[in-house]
Amino acid sequence: MTRSAHSPNRRQVLAGGLAAASMLSLAAVRPSHAAADIELVISSVWGPDKPFQKVVDAFNAKGLGVTVVNRFDGDYQEAATKALASIAAGRAPDMMITGWKFGYFARRTLGARDFLEIDAPRAEAILANFVPSVRPLVTIDGALIGLPWAMSTPVTWINMALWEAAGLDTDIPMDVTHEWLLEQATVLDKALKAKNHPTYRTALDLSNNEWTSQAYIQNAGGHIIDPEGKLAVDSAEAALGMSKFAEPVKAGLWQPVDAATQRTAFSSGALAISATSSASASGFNALPFPVVARKFPRLGATRSMNSGGNFLAVYTRDDERAKAAFTFLEFAASAEGQEIWSEVGYLNTSVHTVPQMANQEAAAAQLVDGLTAETIWPGDRGLEAQNAWRKSVARILEGQDVAEALAGARSDIAQLIS
Amino acid sequence: MDVSDPPSGPAMARDGADSAWRERCKALWRAIVPYIFVAPALLFVGVFLYLPIAFSAGLSFSDWNFVRPEAHWVGLENYRIVLSDPSFHAAALNTLVYTLILAPLQIVVPLLLARLLAGLGRSRMGDFYKSALFLPTIVSFSIAGASWLWIFNSINGFLNAVLRLVGMDGLRWLESPDLAIWSVSTVVFWKASGLNMILYLAALTAIPRELIEASRLDAAGPWRRLWQIEVPLISPTIFFVMITTVMSVMDDIVGVVGVMTDGGPVDATTNLLYYLYQKGMQFFQFGHASAVAIIIAAIVGLITWLQFRFMERQVHYE
Repeated sequence: MTRSAHSPNRRQVLAGGLAAASMLSLAAVRPSHAAADIELVISSVWGPDKPFQKVVDAFNAKGLGVTVVNRFDGDYQEAATKALASIAAGRAPDMMITGWKFGYFARRTLGARDFLEIDAPRAEAILANFVPSVRPLVTIDGALIGLPWAMSTPVTWINMALWEAAGLDTDIPMDVTHEWLLEQATVLDKALKAKNHPTYRTALDLSNNEWTSQAYIQNAGGHIIDPEGKLAVDSAEAALGMSKFAEPVKAGLWQPVDAATQRTAFSSGALAISATSSASASGFNALPFPVVARKFPRLGATRSMNSGGNFLAVYTRDDERAKAAFTFLEFAASAEGQEIWSEVGYLNTSVHTVPQMANQEAAAAQLVDGLTAETIWPGDRGLEAQNAWRKSVARILEGQDVAEALAGARSDIAQLIS
Repeated sequence: MDVSDPPSGPAMARDGADSAWRERCKALWRAIVPYIFVAPALLFVGVFLYLPIAFSAGLSFSDWNFVRPEAHWVGLENYRIVLSDPSFHAAALNTLVYTLILAPLQIVVPLLLARLLAGLGRSRMGDFYKSALFLPTIVSFSIAGASWLWIFNSINGFLNAVLRLVGMDGLRWLESPDLAIWSVSTVVFWKASGLNMILYLAALTAIPRELIEASRLDAAGPWRRLWQIEVPLISPTIFFVMITTVMSVMDDIVGVVGVMTDGGPVDATTNLLYYLYQKGMQFFQFGHASAVAIIIAAIVGLITWLQFRFMERQVHYE
């Protein structure tokens, strides 16, 4: 048999073998390099299409020996449920975006790590990037459990196309009162119903939830849980706040719906005024009609607004991975990280100067005025207590006597947080 | 020795013993083969059905949260907490209301529809109606719920747009405590009736033609034929539908409730299974959730037993 012109001879085979062996050796070396990179998973409430992914991508591009993977796990509740299942299975997420209101649950049940126990000097350096007033929000049972980087507050969003169509004065003051807003809503409703406006359906929505109802109670001088930790839902101030909160429903200006329906209604031009999170700026600024944000309606002379949002907590039990998580937190807290992060629409809680998104003025002004925390329901059954409060709010909006509903709320909640 | 010679005494005894041993082995093999064949299924059912039930029963007497290393025995405390919870009372009452609304509707209406469709035979129109009425069954509860959310949306929804077109005010289909349970029931009925209809239709078409023709010759009208000939003949199917429908109404609607109302407004649409879901997956009270699971299992078991005890005697299997 004659050898083909293209058949390799022994030397070529040997050379090829050596080359292949070299390649394999290189390939074998490479993974050990890659293995030096610690890969961390963040359980998050944002998918890859949201600005949080940009923070992750920018960090990974730096090649600091730590790679972060953003894993979308649903809303705060769903993410917490998945985290619990993962922790029970011994595979805790390294980090998790955790809602403020889950603070006790995060620390006491999920075992969120105390930053100071992981590496106190680095933890202090990270927290030094944030204004001191937000530190108590991430201090649970004396432990510093999160990066306080996502803060929002309820503000008043107004659809200016409907406002103008109703013939209202477009020079809207930044500091609006409850009474003024009701007057405007009444005028707007009458005008647009008379004109049979093609998109308009309802004038006002103050959000049927525990957050804005808390704002009304605080603006009336009351508390849900007072600074001493005592339940105060049935105080005279709380009753006043909730009576005012329910006024637009009684006047036929507010049709209480769930959060998703409210958002859709505002985005479609069916709802004229929506009191909801300042973090909606990223979405509302892109609507096809002009919107403006004004301060949350105050009662009387003063305003005592609450905040909401989330923190980034560390859950891994492995100290090496926890320290690697700090590398990401250091970037997230830096001026560069905060600038990318600001696209989400949250208030700037850092000491860095980052560009302010349009329609963030009202929220920023409320932050300057001072924000309290949203209610972090204490105890093992705190999340049930929150649900009990939401039901009481819904009952009041459905027309139940305010004093009776608040007495019922006190009775229900006291059993759950005792 | 000639091969035809009979074996000697000890050899005969040895052969006899071997033969008896082989027979015993064969008998033993025959006895255990069925168990070997069913073993995978038994193992599957044991691991994935009975073991979790036993685990859940144990959990219902403890305060373990899946994460804490230690679990404490709390006796009947979880049951006491659950049974004294107003939300549990609302869920139990709603479960009863759902059952009273939906079970009769889902048992009777599909039977009437199946009878009408059986009359159409294998016509194109019959096939169209069968497909149209069965189609919702293959849609998942969550997809069905999401689609109906748009229809029921009280601000921008289809139903209210129609009402406004005819000069009426829109309704708060899912937000009104008085109306929401009816809206959820509508979706469940729309979603779940098709399967029962197909089961009835299969049973009706299996009735021997000569019986129907004989009844016609005896001048039995359509109603009389339905109630006195067809219903008794398909009674095993009706019994099956009754058992599965009651179970389904008590349990399966949780998907629609979760997507459409989250059990609200103010517990107006919750049911026992959704209450269980909330206790376990929203409030992380696994001991309470397990207690609810055991209570639900007991209720469903009791109702099923009652159905067998009092209704099976009406069933004609031959």
